[in-house]
Amino acid sequence: MLGSSSESIIYQDIVPYLSPTVRSLIMETNHVWSELEEIRLRRGKPILLRTGDREITITPRGQLEDNLARGYVVTPEDIHRTIASISDNSLYAFEEEIRRGYITISGGHRVGLAGQVVMRQGEVKTVKAFSSIAIRVARQIKGCAGHLLPHLYTRSGVPMNTLLVSPPRCGKTTILRDIARSLSEGNKWGKGCNITVVDERSELGGCYQGQVQLDLGPRADVLDACPKAYGMMMALRSLSPVVIITDEIGRVQDVEAIYECVNAGVSVVSSIHAGSLEEVQHRPVIKNLMAEDVFYNIIFLSRRKGPGTVEEIVRCER
Amino acid sequence: MIWLKTMGVAMVIAGSGAFGMMGARGLDQRVEQLKQLRLAIAFLEKEITYMQTPLSMALTRTADFTAEPVKQLFLESSHILKDRQGVTIREAWQKGLKMLAQAGDLQKEDLNLLQTLAAQLGMSGTEEQKKMFQMVDAQLQIQEQKARETSSSNRKLWAYGGFIVGAAVVLLLL
Repeated sequence: MLGSSSESIIYQDIVPYLSPTVRSLIMETNHVWSELEEIRLRRGKPILLRTGDREITITPRGQLEDNLARGYVVTPEDIHRTIASISDNSLYAFEEEIRRGYITISGGHRVGLAGQVVMRQGEVKTVKAFSSIAIRVARQIKGCAGHLLPHLYTRSGVPMNTLLVSPPRCGKTTILRDIARSLSEGNKWGKGCNITVVDERSELGGCYQGQVQLDLGPRADVLDACPKAYGMMMALRSLSPVVIITDEIGRVQDVEAIYECVNAGVSVVSSIHAGSLEEVQHRPVIKNLMAEDVFYNIIFLSRRKGPGTVEEIVRCER
Repeated sequence: MIWLKTMGVAMVIAGSGAFGMMGARGLDQRVEQLKQLRLAIAFLEKEITYMQTPLSMALTRTADFTAEPVKQLFLESSHILKDRQGVTIREAWQKGLKMLAQAGDLQKEDLNLLQTLAAQLGMSGTEEQKKMFQMVDAQLQIQEQKARETSSSNRKLWAYGGFIVGAAVVLLLL
């Protein structure tokens, strides 16, 4: 039944966490599992599956349906059982993750949570009365960054500072993960080198209970759930990386940490949400980085021919 | 014939006496089991609030630390949770309590108290879990004290009462 690895990922990593009713419905849809990107459960709303650019629902009889009104309506019981299962009935063990709005499950899949946010002293204390669950399927596509590798190295085989730019859902994280693996393993453009992955949202390594779930190669150190700026400084001080890899920079502290790394001779490969070079240059926090040409490569991605389509590679002359 | 009668008398008195002795033993066992429960729940609290161990593992560790029959509660609950069949802690705990009720000497009021844990166990933050454990421990302490008092006042009644009732039955039959 489970031919491809994509199907077994869904069957082994995601299906067991769903409430029994939702599980039995999802089991009826295994013919779309290879394209499944996201499962959304919203209390009192139809169950939603995202496959590529298509959004579909499942009828109470287990048939896929474009008309959302015919979909199975998710009950509070489904939400409760799924949350209980995802957290192993242990919300206390995921307080930090819940505060950030997601839990990472075995296999590195990220489960986004929404509900009533409880604040204390101006900070999010927790989320309770959960109303939505978004399960995002993490797929490691080994080799998907292969065509970018020649651009990442100098002639002498030293990795260069690189920034991946795209709107959400264009494959930045998947490509960044593969870049990390390739740099760490080594390839025909450069030898394998020590890298540190600062994985604030547990997406690159997909860490579950401290264990890296996705392949980042033999020379990768992962600072899981660590704020990017702290992580970069920690890595610089104690892990002697050649490259630091981190996802979705955007805060002032991140930019300061990037300057520290670059000035210490450590390359940075990172990503940022934006649709074009102009948009990046207009972001107040990032514009100095761009003006000073800190990143040698700026790679623009889109979904035009599927996630991870390379639109343009801008090389900054220094 | 007299031997037969003597044997009958001895059997009635012995049977009734044994029943009384079992009753007395049950009272002592209840105290012991409540004591074990308090220790086990303190262990579980440590696993949850300090170690942040996921619940199924915390229950297994607590079962390893606990003697029979209280062990059954934690062992059964953890087995059910580990099966990952969409079962919540409430259901797993209830099944564990059923096992404990069958294997142990706890009374309905003790089991009802443990039942209150089912709704809250695991499904809140560390602070809330700590408060819940403190509350349950305080109530279990009261139950243990009450059980101790019941045991000391009723133990002799059960132990001797069995033989006395047996003797009374024999007298009536003769």
